[in-house]
Amino acid sequence: MGVRRRAGLFILQVNPILCDGFGHCGELAPELVKMDEWGYPIINPEPVPFTNTGAHESARYAERGCPRQALRIRKISDK
Amino acid sequence: MIALATPYLWYTTRATGIVALILFTLVVSLGTLVANRIGGTIVGRFEINELHRSLSIVAMIFLVLHILTTVLDNYVSTGLISAFIPMTSAYKRVAITFGAVAFDLIVAVWISSLLKLRVANSTWRFIHWFSWIGFATALVHAYMSGTDARSGVGLLLVGACGGVVVLAALWRFIGRPTRAAGRTALSPLARVKAPTNKRPVSRPFASSARPTNKRGR
Repeated sequence: MGVRRRAGLFILQVNPILCDGFGHCGELAPELVKMDEWGYPIINPEPVPFTNTGAHESARYAERGCPRQALRIRKISDK
Repeated sequence: MIALATPYLWYTTRATGIVALILFTLVVSLGTLVANRIGGTIVGRFEINELHRSLSIVAMIFLVLHILTTVLDNYVSTGLISAFIPMTSAYKRVAITFGAVAFDLIVAVWISSLLKLRVANSTWRFIHWFSWIGFATALVHAYMSGTDARSGVGLLLVGACGGVVVLAALWRFIGRPTRAAGRTALSPLARVKAPTNKRPVSRPFASSARPTNKRGR
């Protein structure tokens, strides 16, 4: 599971039905996720390039660390 | 299987069994901390979760050592098959059966967690509930088959492990959050100050730097 340098952009997507507001994503990926006042995530809607390895790594930690598996990294086909 | 004149395999079996019991007590207790959403200010919630995961791997290693040394040792006649299938051990049949059931349940929980990103969350949760039954059967196995478990420090240890997990189970039920319990270090209500009338910012990322996808992509 090495980090491959890929072209393109990604966004971290939350499934609001699965999300139970554990708050792990906000701790694991603070550059992508802000918490609202009830502890649910507000995710940066701007696509982030994969070359931003710090953000990509945080996103992968958040995806793996979510206790409800409510997060997915989605690749955006860049134009 | 292996003819060993020394009793050290047997001692290793007993020692790793005790260590595995303590480790699984910690793993179950830490799991209730994650589920009831402890942490978020001094210790991160994700840190408790990571500790829960890491310790479970250590506990699995000790459990495998415990089983391997039992199988390899010829002091007791317990084959590899008895580690998985109930009622196949000539030695302490019922006690080893509890261990086999516990091992099967723990392996199921472990594999489902390894596949966590690939299975539905409801499936994973359903399987994860069986860790309680797995611990209970492991505790019965420890009490019934443990050479040291029915007197002195061993009995005290088994009782303590059982007591801790019973308390954890009670607290898991009583202290379960009815809804999202926010207040992590990053949530605005983490450190409750005087209430303000300021409306919450509707677009928290509006002012943050945008990735350079306009010009350079």
